Amino acid sequence: MSTAVMKNGSACRGGTSEPGVSVTDAAALVVEGLSVGYHQKDGGVLCVAHDVDLRLYPGKVVGLAGESGCGKSTAALAAVGYRHPGGVIMSGRSLLGDTDLLQMDPADLRRLWGGQVAYISQNAATSLNPALTIGRHFDEVLRRHADMHGAAAAARQLELLGAVKLPDPKGALDRYPHQLSGGQQQRVALALAFACKPSVLILDEPTTGLDVTTQTHITALLQELIAETQVAVMYVSHDLALLSTVSQDIAVMYAGEMVERGPVKELIAEPLHPYTNALLRAVPSARARQTIAGIAGEPPVSVAADHCAFAPRCPHAQERCRTEHPDSRELRPGRSARCLRVEELHGALRIVVTHDGYESPAAAAAGESTGHFLEVKDISCYYGSRHKRVAAVRDVSFTLGEAEVLGIVGLSGSGKSTLLRSIVGILPDYTGTVSLRGQELARNARKRPRALRRQVQIVFQDPASSLNPRHTVEQIIARAVHLFREDVARGKTSEAVAELLEGVKLSRSFLGRYPSELSGGQQQRVAIARAFAARPSLLLCDEVTSALDVSVAATIIELLRDLTSSSATAVLFVSHDLAVVRTIADRAIVMRDGLICEQGSTEQLFCAPEHPYTVELLSSIPDIADVRAGRTVEAGVAPVC
Amino acid sequence: MSTVNEAGSAPAVRQKRQSLWVAVLHTGEGMIGVTLGIGMVLLIILGRFFGPSTDYNVGLPGSGSSAEHWFGTDTLGRDILSRFLHGGDTVLLIPLIAVTLALIIGGTLGLFGAYWGGWPDVVISKVFDVILTLPPLLIVLVIIGGLGASNTVLIITVALVYAPGLGRVVRGTAQSVMVNPYVLSAQARGESDLAIIFREVLPNVSGPVLAEFGLRLTYAILFVATLSFLGLGVQPPAPDWGLMVAENRGLITVAPWGTMLPALGITLLAVAFNLTADAISRVLAGDELSRLAVI
Repeated sequence: MSTAVMKNGSACRGGTSEPGVSVTDAAALVVEGLSVGYHQKDGGVLCVAHDVDLRLYPGKVVGLAGESGCGKSTAALAAVGYRHPGGVIMSGRSLLGDTDLLQMDPADLRRLWGGQVAYISQNAATSLNPALTIGRHFDEVLRRHADMHGAAAAARQLELLGAVKLPDPKGALDRYPHQLSGGQQQRVALALAFACKPSVLILDEPTTGLDVTTQTHITALLQELIAETQVAVMYVSHDLALLSTVSQDIAVMYAGEMVERGPVKELIAEPLHPYTNALLRAVPSARARQTIAGIAGEPPVSVAADHCAFAPRCPHAQERCRTEHPDSRELRPGRSARCLRVEELHGALRIVVTHDGYESPAAAAAGESTGHFLEVKDISCYYGSRHKRVAAVRDVSFTLGEAEVLGIVGLSGSGKSTLLRSIVGILPDYTGTVSLRGQELARNARKRPRALRRQVQIVFQDPASSLNPRHTVEQIIARAVHLFREDVARGKTSEAVAELLEGVKLSRSFLGRYPSELSGGQQQRVAIARAFAARPSLLLCDEVTSALDVSVAATIIELLRDLTSSSATAVLFVSHDLAVVRTIADRAIVMRDGLICEQGSTEQLFCAPEHPYTVELLSSIPDIADVRAGRTVEAGVAPVC
Repeated sequence: MSTVNEAGSAPAVRQKRQSLWVAVLHTGEGMIGVTLGIGMVLLIILGRFFGPSTDYNVGLPGSGSSAEHWFGTDTLGRDILSRFLHGGDTVLLIPLIAVTLALIIGGTLGLFGAYWGGWPDVVISKVFDVILTLPPLLIVLVIIGGLGASNTVLIITVALVYAPGLGRVVRGTAQSVMVNPYVLSAQARGESDLAIIFREVLPNVSGPVLAEFGLRLTYAILFVATLSFLGLGVQPPAPDWGLMVAENRGLITVAPWGTMLPALGITLLAVAFNLTADAISRVLAGDELSRLAVI
């Protein structure tokens, strides 16, 4: 009953707020002691978020960081009263003004969502109804939350679409979502979210599915809108580099608990919690080739009640971390961490950027040219049938030295993956030549002699679909061993497979498992082991870290660096992530629309780019090094290294 | 044996690989469907050993239930219960063999069509489409009219009717499997076509195809029963359920069991397979969501 009064914004305090807690400070949303669980089949409740405290202030952005599965999205959505199917809010409150969102009934919540509280999900394509025009989406929102009809509503729609800088707003109203690009769809989603002047906005990885340059445009637009409307924002993302550029405060979540929070600059320079430290150490930078370290293992699925959840993966863990659950401790105002050793470790966790001593064997042997190990000459790759043939790559030529690591960067559609597929021989429709040690490769892998086939191996982006779900890990790797390793006797395959697994740091117990029983990182390790089973001299990596969490991606990069340098394998490393390429490659090629824009050493390309497109790419990707150094990067201006 | 995880951290709880049939039995319709199906198959196989013999158990034609003939007698005075207990095998076996044959023919064509693409795929698809445009009864009438009615002709005809549908499902599923990087990876290894089809593609189309098979089997059971009813299927004096319905329908007011009992048998058999097929599709749909692997 009381909710009806509160909804109208009267000063009624209702029965929910406790005395002694100030709700009159400027915070737009105050979340206290929020715990969320999921109903289990056995009737119990699995706690996935515990004791989350957050304050959102108008015009400010709080970033919520952490690996996937740490309860970020669950906590963010629960904070505005949303429960996933099967989800329950176990305790806590979330005050929007004087109203506790967690006590509201569903009908009142629905009145609030989309109006005063807005949410933008990762995938705009699925958040828009494909059967309705863009105009109808706006009609619905404006009618329901702002009671706007007819001419007033029409004018507001145009105003909103103009505000999100959608080209031709008038025309867009009559279009269907599928007629817009991904970036445009996300702009529409933004316009919808801002349609009723929300006071709280939840962003759940709003730019993750988009190309890097689109990402920058959307992020810039978001910042503009936030400053203009003074909405209080919670920004959920696993990308610390991005969060550090868009938010004022960052809260880090691990195993459903907030382990640390603080102002961005302090937090990324001197984290208080070992987990934050580990996360930051996994973030690569495009500005310098620096050592990155992944976090081994995986986050637990639920909240730990009687020990520190991070202890099993923590290099600083002591005996008491395994028997005692840490509370959040405040070191100084505004800085707190949920770690038993926060005072002792203070200072020890400061992030020291170490410029990397890593060099691939080729770079180490620089000077004495190894000749042209791989030579790609005037290659044009085509897709489609004879009648509708589209060139995805046009007249591309480059060479690769023995054991050299060459990065290929570009956005989706730039032809970089197509190029790899032609080289490995699964996309035979190309003109031009690919030769390995002077020997021209047949277009189709099957026409290449086995010895040549053995030398060129590929690892794909999505680890889940690059392993046959019906084969065990042993069967998957054994096949490559059978085909390419004459030195392994038939009876010894299992032994060889176990050795290969060991090489990618997986234990023998993985032999009998199926891909679905592995995590993404483990699946990618198996795919790498399969490639190395052939003892290749050229490894093609197609966005191998893009589907993985930052912490896992870093472990994969480390592994690839170890394996390729110890076996002197040359690598073509395709990625849209410039920072990752900087970390692993000696030289890089920038591709756009099937053409090479620029190539050179990573040092030269990333620190003194010449082509405007390279500059655009470099300036559009948020880099944690810039935030740390207090630099602002302007679009279209080459960033300082 | 304990599992050693990388870095020794606590292994996250992952979905364990679970057998398809275990998962199917855990759904309501799967449990009912499989139980009913097993019951009906047992009745069809073993029933004849318990019921009275067909040959010597003859009474007054068209009599209702009595102590001697529990479910009455048919137009010729034969005991309905004993004919029912003997007559299930054609109802089950003819569709089963026919649909299996349809799967082999249609599935092989669909699989190779999907794998090769290009003109072979176009030809195969068009042939499927043409057959699908013809009314099934018309196909059957023409073939049986030309070759005469026998169980072999019946099986081949029904297989021909169902092959395109199954073939299309196999082709569609195989096409979506074909684009997976594990297939590309096999191509990059230079594996032969057959190795790729049998090792990489076929195991991954079997799930959806199994569901489709169950559904088609249901249709085929009803279809063959219909054909027998029309006199195009199993020929007298065989004690086939569909044929029994046709023979005894004139006596439905006097000896209702003559039509009711075989009709009930056909219905239960069809329902059993249909529920099982539904359960399989449901498990597979959930499987897509949870990425749970199925044997």
